[in-house]
Amino acid sequence: MEHEIIRKEDLNPKDYLIEVKAPMVAKKIQPGQFVVLMTHPKGERIPMSVQKAENGNVTMFIKKLGKTSVELYTYKVGDHLENVIGPMGNPVEIKKYGNVAICSDLVCGHAENYALCKALRQVDGNHVISMQTFPSKDMMYLEEELRGVSDEYYITLEDGSYGIKGHYRDVLEKLMKKGKIDMVFAGGQTDGYVPLAELTKSYNVPTMVTLRPIMVDATGMCGSCRVFIDGEMKLACIDGPMFDAHKVNFKELLNRVKLFKKQEAIALENYNKMR
Amino acid sequence: MVKIIKNRVRMPELSVEERTKTFNEVPLGYSEEQAIKEAKRCLQCKDSPCTKNCPVNVDVNGFINELAKGNFKEAFLKIKKDNPIPAIAGRVCPQENQCEGACTMGKAGDAINIGKLESFLGDWAMEKGIREDFAIKEKDQKVAIIGSGPSGISCAVDLRKYGYKVTIFEALHKAGGVLQYGIPEFRLPKKVVDEELSYLKEIGVDIRLNNIVGQNLSFDELRDGYDAIYIGTGAGAPFFVGIEGEELNGVYSANEFLIRTNLMKAYKFPEYDTLLFVGKKVGVIGAGNVAMDSARSALRSGAEVYILYRRTKEHSPAREEELRHALEEGIHFMELVAPTKILGENGWVKGIELVKMKLGEPDKSGRPRPEKIKGSEFIMDLDTVVEAIGTRPNRLFLRTVPELKTTSRGIIEVDEKLGNIEGVYAGGDAISGGATVIQALGEGRKAAKSIHDYLCAR
Repeated sequence: MEHEIIRKEDLNPKDYLIEVKAPMVAKKIQPGQFVVLMTHPKGERIPMSVQKAENGNVTMFIKKLGKTSVELYTYKVGDHLENVIGPMGNPVEIKKYGNVAICSDLVCGHAENYALCKALRQVDGNHVISMQTFPSKDMMYLEEELRGVSDEYYITLEDGSYGIKGHYRDVLEKLMKKGKIDMVFAGGQTDGYVPLAELTKSYNVPTMVTLRPIMVDATGMCGSCRVFIDGEMKLACIDGPMFDAHKVNFKELLNRVKLFKKQEAIALENYNKMR
Repeated sequence: MVKIIKNRVRMPELSVEERTKTFNEVPLGYSEEQAIKEAKRCLQCKDSPCTKNCPVNVDVNGFINELAKGNFKEAFLKIKKDNPIPAIAGRVCPQENQCEGACTMGKAGDAINIGKLESFLGDWAMEKGIREDFAIKEKDQKVAIIGSGPSGISCAVDLRKYGYKVTIFEALHKAGGVLQYGIPEFRLPKKVVDEELSYLKEIGVDIRLNNIVGQNLSFDELRDGYDAIYIGTGAGAPFFVGIEGEELNGVYSANEFLIRTNLMKAYKFPEYDTLLFVGKKVGVIGAGNVAMDSARSALRSGAEVYILYRRTKEHSPAREEELRHALEEGIHFMELVAPTKILGENGWVKGIELVKMKLGEPDKSGRPRPEKIKGSEFIMDLDTVVEAIGTRPNRLFLRTVPELKTTSRGIIEVDEKLGNIEGVYAGGDAISGGATVIQALGEGRKAAKSIHDYLCAR
């Protein structure tokens, strides 16, 4: 049977990784693309970021947030998922960018950070700078692995208990001031994209960000993930998920991700009561 | 002397009170006696206008004649010869424009209830486990079918009958295409869809779910691995009106509303995980079948529902039965209005600005062209808007085959159902932009014949 869980590990008290057998997906997925996961036949289809795709397995980073991710955390090695579908979306163009910063401050972003660093570093002429932000030291993960796939690595903690105090944007600004950044890729908190876009625009550095609006089929059928790029409606699932940060209407996106806030809370509450 | 019985035997239906509380199917089915009684009304016209007016030319006289004699199995097999999914087609075909529309009895009284007799036989055969029996003379050639909707289904069945090895690639996690994700349970129970599809597996069609051509396998891989390809990818991408406010929460494409409801079973939350917000007052833009499906789904979630249509009721493209059911269930039908702007508050839908319309000269479709009445704009309070103004072929697939000739709306251009690439055929909504299940079935069958001719000549 497909989609057996091979490995499940805590990344920190909130985030975890699972490695799942998905040979069809693993064979084709490239950095920038994502998968759609269904835990069981009555489950929802949810988009997930992939850190690695090796030996017919895909490794996903997940935050315990809503009903599905909390329920999935109870699955054990050897259990099976209903579906891991993909790859979805478009890959990032793997080419020479020069000094390229890859930044993340949220679980999905960290997974992509690794995938992108690894791929971009293989292109001659790229100097890959990886940056991560966490709230505190006990929440950190992936430092060692990212150091292994990047030319420069920065960790910033909001409480300053390790590495640099602050956000990756602070490091980015210093480097941009010195003219050391040609391209930025970022994945993580949507509200964090707003100051990021303002910052990189002021230095005129092209910036691509991964958007994660609510999706259902993720094949371009439902229009739930519509985003507005330079005033034009695009679908994040098939036109993205990465877009030019300087063109995205973040205000609309930040509102659209709140669509099911109430229902999501009810779903989680119901689930917790049933357990 | 043939005795004319003007009134058809009505199929019993769920009461309106019950309907608004459940997603159970509205028509309750004929008893055997009722079906025979209705079949006996048929005049058995020699020129069979019903058959001529059917996109797959089902032998209507033939099956009704057997049915009237109580030969259910023979009647079922007569339909099955031309239509692989009678239980589905009987439920979703716009019979009033096809077989029943041409029925001679219709001139004297009610047309024969052909659709309901068809679904009765489909259901009867399913219950009894009756299958069409045929021997397959296996051939070595392989055909790939992209999409498991109506046209893919009929193409697959015919190709299997010719003896080819058939593989269907379906992007979603369930087979059936629009039958699965689009049409609600109260109109087409998913049990019926799954049952009629299980027949495909029995005759050896390999259905591979979660296979998105262009994503996890390329069109070139299919061309390398198969002797011919049939594109039945449908028209699964929504149109939006393109007015201000479509980014607001509470605005859905009908596709999203129905995918959440049907494919993902959001109406069974929390048993199912998928969420759907349906407000207290819902406006559905459009008046076709998809609009009726959306409106009636919203109603069953407890909402007050308004159809907002730019023409008048009589020009609605919905099936007669859907429109009747919608009105019976208490859906409000607002005629001669078009949306100009969706209004919001704190990121959520608060209302809609509508402009009044009047009917002008007939347009290309033969229906009067709706024209805006200047200065007649008014505001209606709503908290949910569902846009059901049509769909188009999905560009996700099309962009993977740039050599395929398409119109500006992404509709595949075909000549005699043959795409412009050798060995590649197309049909269904992918070439029409959006039509009926039965038309797609017909095109799938025609393509199967063309593929057979092509492979024989090779």
